[in-house]
Amino acid sequence: MKRLPALLLALCLCLPLAACGGPPAETGSQEVTIRCGISNAWDALMPYNSVSGSNYARIVYDKLYDRLAYVHADGTLSPRGAESWESCEGGYAVLFHLDGDAAFHDGTPVTAEHWVETFTLMTDPECPALGRGNFSVFTGTDQDGCRVAGEPFGAEAVDELTLKLTFKTPTTPEDFLLDKNREFYVLPTHLLEGVEAAELMELDLWKAPVGSGPCVFVSEIPGSQLTLAANQNYQLGTPGFDYLVITVMDKSNLLTALIAGDLDYYAIGGSLSADDVPLAEASGLTVLEGTVPNTFYELMLNCERISDARVRRAIELALDKDLLCEQSTHGLGAPAGSSISPESPYAASAVPAAERDVEGAKALLAEAGYDGTSYTLVCTANRAGLAALMQQNLAEAGISVTIETVDSAAMFAGMADGTYDMGIASHTPGALPLWFTESRLSETNNIFHVSGLEPYTSRIQAIRQEADPEARSALVAELDAYLAQERPFIPLWFGTALHVQSPTVQNIDYPSASFSNENVWAWVKE
Amino acid sequence: MAHYIRRRLITAVPVFFGITLLVFLLLDLAPGDLTDLMGEGAASAAEQAAMEAAFGLDQPLPVRYLLWLTGLLQGDLGRSYQYGQSVSDLIAQRLWPSLLLTGTGVALAVAIAVPLGLLAAWRPHSLWGRLSELFTVIGSAMPGFFLALVSICLFSVQLGWLPASGMYTAGTGGSLGDLLRHLTLPAAIVGVSNVGSILRQTQSACLEVMGEDYIMTARAKGLRERAVLVRHGLRAALIPVLTSILSHIPHIIGGSVVVERIFGWPGMGSLMFSAVSSRDFNLVMGVTVWMALTVLLTSLLLDVVYGLVDPRVRYERI
Repeated sequence: MKRLPALLLALCLCLPLAACGGPPAETGSQEVTIRCGISNAWDALMPYNSVSGSNYARIVYDKLYDRLAYVHADGTLSPRGAESWESCEGGYAVLFHLDGDAAFHDGTPVTAEHWVETFTLMTDPECPALGRGNFSVFTGTDQDGCRVAGEPFGAEAVDELTLKLTFKTPTTPEDFLLDKNREFYVLPTHLLEGVEAAELMELDLWKAPVGSGPCVFVSEIPGSQLTLAANQNYQLGTPGFDYLVITVMDKSNLLTALIAGDLDYYAIGGSLSADDVPLAEASGLTVLEGTVPNTFYELMLNCERISDARVRRAIELALDKDLLCEQSTHGLGAPAGSSISPESPYAASAVPAAERDVEGAKALLAEAGYDGTSYTLVCTANRAGLAALMQQNLAEAGISVTIETVDSAAMFAGMADGTYDMGIASHTPGALPLWFTESRLSETNNIFHVSGLEPYTSRIQAIRQEADPEARSALVAELDAYLAQERPFIPLWFGTALHVQSPTVQNIDYPSASFSNENVWAWVKE
Repeated sequence: MAHYIRRRLITAVPVFFGITLLVFLLLDLAPGDLTDLMGEGAASAAEQAAMEAAFGLDQPLPVRYLLWLTGLLQGDLGRSYQYGQSVSDLIAQRLWPSLLLTGTGVALAVAIAVPLGLLAAWRPHSLWGRLSELFTVIGSAMPGFFLALVSICLFSVQLGWLPASGMYTAGTGGSLGDLLRHLTLPAAIVGVSNVGSILRQTQSACLEVMGEDYIMTARAKGLRERAVLVRHGLRAALIPVLTSILSHIPHIIGGSVVVERIFGWPGMGSLMFSAVSSRDFNLVMGVTVWMALTVLLTSLLLDVVYGLVDPRVRYERI
């Protein structure tokens, strides 16, 4: 009897050893699963209830729900929920001709009425929708995106398959889609009848959502794993797999999990470092280089603390952007003098990156009467090396900097409330010239603490209202030149990425993930 | 004994609420909230204000704490801001994986540490003593993340014996064998990380006991060495060893942040990590409640077990 515990213990210890006998046997079925790694968790599965509004959340919504179009990395557009689109009413409205084959996962056809009802619900002031500011471009809404009582709303169903969106300012379909396509999804409003707008986000429907995207919800462990099935009836084609499993794991283990065969690919937030290319290739993985920039690095500045534009320009001149870019991207990036993406149609209007000029920086500082004030430079822990290089660069010009490492929330909060003087941030660039500046140089978000916003807002407004491409380019160049002169933030570089995947998966359009969409319907796994 | 337990439970109540208040205050003092993460700094003040209003973050701190407390007393831990689901459901989903992973790891640590600690105390300069030193150094000096990455490189990448991530192979039904294959590496890391402290505790407690007169008496009586060691040595040294082992219970229930995160294991540790990173206050508070209860109950359990193990410990009415 006394031997029983010992035997049980021995059995417990042997079980894991028995498990080392190789991979599990195939179940016998022919089901094909694509396994995707992701380094950050998505939010709630209701796309208008995303607290972060991050790419990690959008890339998941993109699979469950349908959008109007597919945005390619080079800024071109393909049909998705809408087959075609055309401008009307002198550029104030766009007609979207919806795909008649589109249907929700429960079989209900997607109609223009679904789109209108979705937009109507989300702009209802009673509905606790997040990111509602995106709707403020439509007529009949206020600046927060809430519908204004008594005014006609800028979303209407012309017929069953024609959606008309009316804007407050002239907007081309291309501009609208490049800017907002990733923000708008069609919801199964036929399942929301009788639901109070205030209760909308608390429905059990969002635990097992019904969308009309290329994948169907199967199961979820929130923040850890999401299992989706291929939508056999997706209007753009049936994905070439049965299941797609998205797993959250630490960045440090993404490549090893791929080599070990636990993953087939990993996308945003988990790009391959150039140092790891030989290992990945030696392990039989396919390495692909991104074709367009997918990251934009900037140095945020607190213009209240660094109030003289000459000091801000001196900081830019003192920074060795080539070295910083090389250190960060390992040769897969290019220094920037503007937030306009090199792949944007407006790239010619962008101010080029200035050469490092320490003496020029010193001269500017002397001219500005810089008194040796020490500034705080904040960054997340993974960018401490970059911050140290910047500190060294700036010290050579006589600018003293103290580095603080915090997490993202503390960094953005500290920049917003003026705790920090500089901060290193990165973003996914857009193709439009105002993708970065418009949202950060406005009365409602003045993260750079600019004292007089009017010179920026008036120029931004002029660009928005100009429809002629040439005249618009000229206005973009004017704004960029003004930004270079005032330097409320310092553009650092645009980086492209290396992607790695198992050779068994094909047709993944990695670069377009920058626009938070992936061509899942074209994916194939052998 | 019942009176003692009642008294301990009553004193635990203010401690529990003190913990929740302290964590609530610390969360409030921490820089940034979830609205600062919205849109990577691109969200407008109106959007941030709308989000604050939607989650009640625009209320003063005492009001928010009282609202949360009212919910807690009604058994409602609130909804996660990030996941939009009930905090209780999220915790329930993550509890079993954490229990399995950390429980197996700690059981493994105990299975190695207790016999080895005993043997090392018995023959300090033998092979057992050296093995004990090795385990103590590895377990105490090597950080869990380093061990995890090295073991993944070795067993998953180089040898291809074990999977590097997840709880089951994606797309399979999740058989027991598959679970064990996925469990082996992370549980071994948790085990090795914990073995040092238990081993040290066992060895020093046994060493102390082995010098006692009654051990010499037992040997003089002609008892077999094994009986001396186990029946007299280990049993007398059991209180500090048990303290060390039982103090791992909150760890078992709370999960291991580093190991769960690296291995993509869907446990409480990774849930807490994501909750803190995204400033999901309701979720952080929910996990805190769970952890506080576990720590308080473990402490009570330790006192009760002392009484059962050591007859010298008595719980008398004061």
